[in-house]
Amino acid sequence: MKTTYTLIVTAALCASIAHAQNSCSSAVLVTAGTTYTIDAINGPEIPIPICATTGVGATHTEWYKYVPAYDYSLTISTDLPQNAGGDTRFNVYQGNCGGLSCVGGADDQGSNTLASTTVQVSGGLTYRIAFDDRWSNAGFDFTLTEGPPVVTAFNFVQQAIPGGISSDCVVDMNNDGLDDIVSGSTNMVRILRQQAGGSFLESDISIPTAANSPSWSICAGDLNGDGHTDLMYGGGGGTSLILSANGGTSFTQISPAQYIFCQRTNMVDINNDGNLDAYSCHDVDANVSFMNDGAGNFVFGQGGLGTTCGNYGSIWVDYDNDHDMDMFVAKCGCDPHDLLMRNNGDGTFTDVSPALGLSDTHQSWSSAWGDFDNDGDLDMLIGSSSSNVHKLMRNDGGTFTNVTIGSGYDTFGGQSIEWTTHDFNNDGHLDILGGGALMLGNGDMTFATAAVSAPYSGPVGDLNNDGFLDIISGNTIYLNTGNTNKYLTVDLTGTVSNRDGIGARIEVTSDMGTQIREIRSGDAFSTMSSLMAHFGLGTDTHIASVTVYWPSGIVDVIDEPAINSRLNIVEGTFTAIPASATKGFSVFPSPAEDVLNVRADVDLNNGATTVMNVTGQRVMTTHLRNDQLDISSLKSGVYLIRIELAGRVLNSRFVKR
Amino acid sequence: MKKISIALFVLLFGFLSCAKDDPEDPVTDPDPVQPVSPVVFHIDSVPYTTLSHYNFFSGNLADMQPVTGVIPYAPINALFSDYAHKSRFVWMPSGVKASYLADNVSLDFPNGTVLIKNFYYDHVQPQNARRIMETRLLIRKYGQWVFADYVWNDAQTEATMDLNGSYVPLEWLDDNNVLRSVTYRIPAEAECNTCHINNSVPIPIGPKPQNINSPYIYPEGSKNQLAKWVEVGYLNSGYPANIETVAKWDDPSQSLNDRVRGYVDINCSHCHADDRYCSYRSMRFAWGETLDPAHLGVCVAPDVPLLPQHSHIVKPGNTEKSLLYYRINSGVDGIRMPLLGRTLIHEEGRQLIEDWINSLTQICN
Repeated sequence: MKTTYTLIVTAALCASIAHAQNSCSSAVLVTAGTTYTIDAINGPEIPIPICATTGVGATHTEWYKYVPAYDYSLTISTDLPQNAGGDTRFNVYQGNCGGLSCVGGADDQGSNTLASTTVQVSGGLTYRIAFDDRWSNAGFDFTLTEGPPVVTAFNFVQQAIPGGISSDCVVDMNNDGLDDIVSGSTNMVRILRQQAGGSFLESDISIPTAANSPSWSICAGDLNGDGHTDLMYGGGGGTSLILSANGGTSFTQISPAQYIFCQRTNMVDINNDGNLDAYSCHDVDANVSFMNDGAGNFVFGQGGLGTTCGNYGSIWVDYDNDHDMDMFVAKCGCDPHDLLMRNNGDGTFTDVSPALGLSDTHQSWSSAWGDFDNDGDLDMLIGSSSSNVHKLMRNDGGTFTNVTIGSGYDTFGGQSIEWTTHDFNNDGHLDILGGGALMLGNGDMTFATAAVSAPYSGPVGDLNNDGFLDIISGNTIYLNTGNTNKYLTVDLTGTVSNRDGIGARIEVTSDMGTQIREIRSGDAFSTMSSLMAHFGLGTDTHIASVTVYWPSGIVDVIDEPAINSRLNIVEGTFTAIPASATKGFSVFPSPAEDVLNVRADVDLNNGATTVMNVTGQRVMTTHLRNDQLDISSLKSGVYLIRIELAGRVLNSRFVKR
Repeated sequence: MKKISIALFVLLFGFLSCAKDDPEDPVTDPDPVQPVSPVVFHIDSVPYTTLSHYNFFSGNLADMQPVTGVIPYAPINALFSDYAHKSRFVWMPSGVKASYLADNVSLDFPNGTVLIKNFYYDHVQPQNARRIMETRLLIRKYGQWVFADYVWNDAQTEATMDLNGSYVPLEWLDDNNVLRSVTYRIPAEAECNTCHINNSVPIPIGPKPQNINSPYIYPEGSKNQLAKWVEVGYLNSGYPANIETVAKWDDPSQSLNDRVRGYVDINCSHCHADDRYCSYRSMRFAWGETLDPAHLGVCVAPDVPLLPQHSHIVKPGNTEKSLLYYRINSGVDGIRMPLLGRTLIHEEGRQLIEDWINSLTQICN
């Protein structure tokens, strides 16, 4: 009898256990270090929201809860040998049933359809894990593993874009200093305007039908110079320019007739006349540009900016610190030789990729350019989109050294078509998003995977004005939870240069040293990220100065701006061009005919040299050689000359006969 | 005068050719003298400005009634082109002929060959009439293929050379009497160069022996197309008897797997092959390469998933996780595959791929 009684009790207990995990409120407590078995997913309560990135569709769920004693990095995994061939998915929550918020989620890991993720958990809080039947209701085992928490942890929490809108574009449309969310189609521009309180106000603006959609890429900037942001669509059959009108309340469109298999599009002032031009990579032909004459005309041009096919990911950068924009193209397909087109300062470009060891043939769709080691020049990662060959190149003052081995990218297994760099944890070191991971930079050309739930790729900007960069993926905002690190956001307003300051170089100097950023319209492969420059400043409490090198040649220097703030700089307001020459620096003869000689108390060889006219318009950029400058191409008049070398800026003026 | 002089030239050349060949091999190469083709073709002057200039068709141009020497043909499988109908013809100058190279490689066509492909729709609204959109020519000139595209006028009386690309909005009643619409794309030359290219050299795609080794109903009766080409003097007879021939994708008597192999061969393999536009991805869709399931993407993780759930290019039993299905089932630029030549979803092709994926049972590791 006793035996029977025990069996009955056991059976009753089993039955209650079998049903206990069928709802959020009856979730079964689990701990690390044990292997748990789920017989089948049959609980009727499906979780809301879904944290895994693979959407709705589950009909049953098994619920568990976990209460850590201390702060941990918690790894939840079904990726166990006994589960081989299974197809699992789970979501991780914090909060009460009925008010759950996502902490993380996991689905496939590449070809492996089991699931595993690591989340940061806080001691004493209750977390819930919901395994759902999105793909299969078959049973499996799972484990929890606790590890040391990641110091200065930050993470991303998911928030649906209002209205379920998908977006590839984050940019400030109305010049209020707040990034907006933009979605463009052939007949509408949808703008979710960020409000001061962090909410978004949707405005759907119908546009005259454009011939092309932003199906391959989108970029943004003030093409028509009216103070409001315009869009450029890169479509499979051509480009459409979507131009603001009536104070940004409506748009017109221009769809040039030329067939272009658009890939990466960019807005950049190619000929440095103060008007933004429109550029597009062409997949199956030479790259194209539409030169803006400032009177509403965009003149088609082809050639001189990459003449063979296979052009995928262009990015306009100043690799040689001469303050004009050079162009790198990550290439793929029929001619995979990557291009670096050096801006000669006279409207022509020269392919310097073979000489600099960048003309390699691995298949890539985009590259990430930033000063990863904070030494004053732009380094780069050419990320692989197939065959897993990544190339991390350190810029050594205009030449490049392959430093992939030991960087973290030599052993990195991910690949993608989108690669971009920003400082996501505000530690003063640029990080790289790409290949399905966020790799945190250590400031020394090495990187390590962040234990965060970042999306695969997407446009980047500050979507809640908290000084930490957020990411959009499809219809989801990945809001950066931040940490205690400091930041500075720089928002440029050009006057002589283009309004957005696209092409400007910004330097921020604090205790940790000097960091640089460039304003770019169009990076990674397809998306448009914020036109504001974002600097993480770690534990620094004080900024010494901010210097802006505008495309016009004008330089603004702002001393000691407030930390943890957004700094708007109007071109020429803080101009650093002195009326008199720098002491110990002179040029002669004056007037000069064809050659200007330079004399200084330091060696100026290879110094970045800029010549401006009296209105501040830059007319020449070059590197100084043998203390001489060829000025034969200049018209007669008065000019300012600036030479930069090793942190020194030397100014003078001369007359050209 | 021009036509007469060409006819004289052709007669003379044909005569000289026979005079030279006959003594050497009179038995195996009987080569009866063909009726003279009235086609107008000066190799130095082509492509002409107008389609009518070639005199490929007799009578009303839009009726596409081929003149002597212009031979109709049809591949076993054809690229889906937004439900456009196609009619194809081949013409060669007298005295030259094509040679077999391999089952899976287009015939080695002689200089002067013209491959003619008309794209048209029937029951185009509001007239409910046939409308020919374009006639594409591939001309073998000085050892290279040259592209020409002739865009038909609204009156359907003439087609004019244009390689700049254009769009034509269109509504028509399809074969099931369903009203469909499309913004029809006439390609620019750079688009031709995306698919019709091998290692930067222009090529034809359809006329490979394994895709034309099939019967065609000629006015004289049904005959194997390769045999017909030999008969009219367009092909050397020295080709293998046992050509590895593709399965017709819409032939329900063939196995599902072979039908899919036939479908992706003609719709995908012009890019997804060595030395082609998308050689850098792992798929290999040519008929001769798809006996390996991995070449079809089965259980292969995509380099770049378009949605997070795309665990494989083809995930057996699961179309939602299969990137290939997502691309076939989309008309959106940037998502759809093939990326050129269509904006509509090919419903019958999509159904084939769905049935095939659902039939697969392989477990991926």
